[in-house]
Amino acid sequence: MTTSTSAPVTTEKATVVAARTKGLRKEYGSTVAVDRVDLELPEGAVLGMLGPNGSGKTTTIRMLLGLVRPTQGEIELLGKPLPDGAEQALPHVGALVEGPGFHPFLSGRENLIRCAAFEPLLEKRNIKQAVEDALERVGLAQAAHRRYRGYSLGMKQRLGLAAALLVPRKLVVLDEPTNGLDPAGTREIRKIIAELHAAGSTVLVSSHLLSEVEATCTHVAVLHRGTVVAQGELTELLQAGGSALQVITPDVEIALSALRSAKISGRPLGDGLRVELAGTSAPQVIETLVKAGVGIYEATRWKTGLEELFARLTEAEEAERGMSAVDTLDGGPR
Amino acid sequence: MITRQFGSEVRWMLRRPRTIIGLFGLVLVPIIISFGIWTAGEGSDGPPGLGAILQGNGMVVPIFTLFLSLNLLLPLVASIWAADGLAGEAQHGTLRGLLVAPVSRVRLLFVKLFGLTAMSLFAVTLMAVVGIIAGTAFLGTNGMMTLSGTTLTTGEGLLRIALFIILVTFQMVSIGAVALAVSATTEHPLVVQAATMTTIIVFQVLGQFSSLDWLHPFLITTGFPGLIDVMRDPIPTGQIWDSTLLAGCYLLIGTGLAAMRLITKDS
Ligand SMILES: Nc1ncnc2c1ncn2[C@@H]1O[C@H](COP(=O)(O)OP(=O)(O)OP(=O)(O)O)[C@@H](O)[C@H]1O
Ligand SMILES: [Mg+2]
Repeated sequence: MTTSTSAPVTTEKATVVAARTKGLRKEYGSTVAVDRVDLELPEGAVLGMLGPNGSGKTTTIRMLLGLVRPTQGEIELLGKPLPDGAEQALPHVGALVEGPGFHPFLSGRENLIRCAAFEPLLEKRNIKQAVEDALERVGLAQAAHRRYRGYSLGMKQRLGLAAALLVPRKLVVLDEPTNGLDPAGTREIRKIIAELHAAGSTVLVSSHLLSEVEATCTHVAVLHRGTVVAQGELTELLQAGGSALQVITPDVEIALSALRSAKISGRPLGDGLRVELAGTSAPQVIETLVKAGVGIYEATRWKTGLEELFARLTEAEEAERGMSAVDTLDGGPR
Repeated sequence: MITRQFGSEVRWMLRRPRTIIGLFGLVLVPIIISFGIWTAGEGSDGPPGLGAILQGNGMVVPIFTLFLSLNLLLPLVASIWAADGLAGEAQHGTLRGLLVAPVSRVRLLFVKLFGLTAMSLFAVTLMAVVGIIAGTAFLGTNGMMTLSGTTLTTGEGLLRIALFIILVTFQMVSIGAVALAVSATTEHPLVVQAATMTTIIVFQVLGQFSSLDWLHPFLITTGFPGLIDVMRDPIPTGQIWDSTLLAGCYLLIGTGLAAMRLITKDS
């Protein structure tokens, strides 16, 4: 499916998308969980979905999987409109949504066998092998015979991942897959995502670990208060964020006036100032400052990282409103 | 595909600890009844009606057991299965997994109804079989004495028992279907059990008031006593038919409501 089939002439290049939402809105009673979400998930991409707690990531994912009916808006999943096309699209989709869900009295293996029995793409004679492969892949083969009741948080998470990977998928949706995993587990998730990406699968992963997203994702979508505030290729977004120079100096006032006369924008920050490098370069800035007699202890080139971008997109408004930091992520400059 | 899903469902139900405990409890009923009648001894005044012909008539034990259990025990078991089927799966987060597999919501309801039917039939048959064994062991038998005073051959008696198994199972499934409708609305299995059992008990209480005559034809519990006509010779079909028809209405309404709720449910 391409964007151009039904749309009139557009300037956008026609990308093949694995999933797309248009004007998605979900109300729970009087709370609006998600509003005007236009998400585009290009085929083969690894899209990192970011957002503070309660920003609507899980709700969006649930709607994308047909678990929740949107109040408004359209969803297209693997070229099929939801909810009507769910039965054709969903067999190719593996998902781990809001934590793993399994029966405590069954072992990990038995739980997976039960999941496998309901997978349309899995033939009966292949079930056993598929289950063993999935267990192996998430590193649970040793504990597979134990009851799910006794699993640790990370083991439960791994079993959930195994269920999502029972069948080769076109799209894998992982809602906070690293939740509760140890560092090795986090690395394994990264590896699994990379493998899926290499195999041509599309991956949608929501996460609070910005460094993980920066390391694994090709695309990013940032949600805030139920709407998408930024989305696109990771590199493009970061470039658009620009870069800056952090200068540590006691002579902030002198430095600022010198920069102002050189038409370079900067602002006080911490023990010094921060200078935007848009339309100028680091050597030029330092030369300007030195010529003005500013004492420079330290100058650090500061490229916009995902954390900073994220903070800028989601925190500025909160700070203005004096909202508590509980609602936001611990982002900010490194 | 659907047979595989049915199989998986029944296996899953059978593996559940509370199913096993429940079945064990059900099996105790005919054993206790047989033992109780046996210790009461010959010539004692047994309970009236069906109980009166139990002495020396072991083949009646399965019927008597099921007839008694239909009032509370079997609805309870049906409500537990219905509660675990949807509310329990929602509570464990496994319902999400099934729905994104995907299993269509209507299909899922049929899988659940099948599981409920298969397990009900299994439980009722198990009780009957244990009833036959315990009854003949404790009380002995020569054929089956009916409420009409005639005696049926063992073969005919077994046929009557089979018919009764089917009738009781159908009542149980109908109650379970209504419980499934409740189960589709909540994440708490206990709510489903409590609602179902309360309803059954309230219906039985309402059935006691003759001032509420007009209401009685609509209460599923009103149909229970009539099923005992299986033990008459020849079988008068009127009441049995009415009871079954009433249960059928409950089954249809329950399934319909469950489907409506499930299709629009957010999970
Ligand atoms: N079933 C529900 N009933 C009522 N409100 C809900 C429900 N599900 C979600 N919400 C609300 O919708 C908003 C978005 O929730 P959602 O779970 O999508 O957030 P999230 O981005 O996944 O957060 P987190 O990072 O904490 O997982 C929240 O305000 C939440 O309270
Ligand atoms: Mg979430």
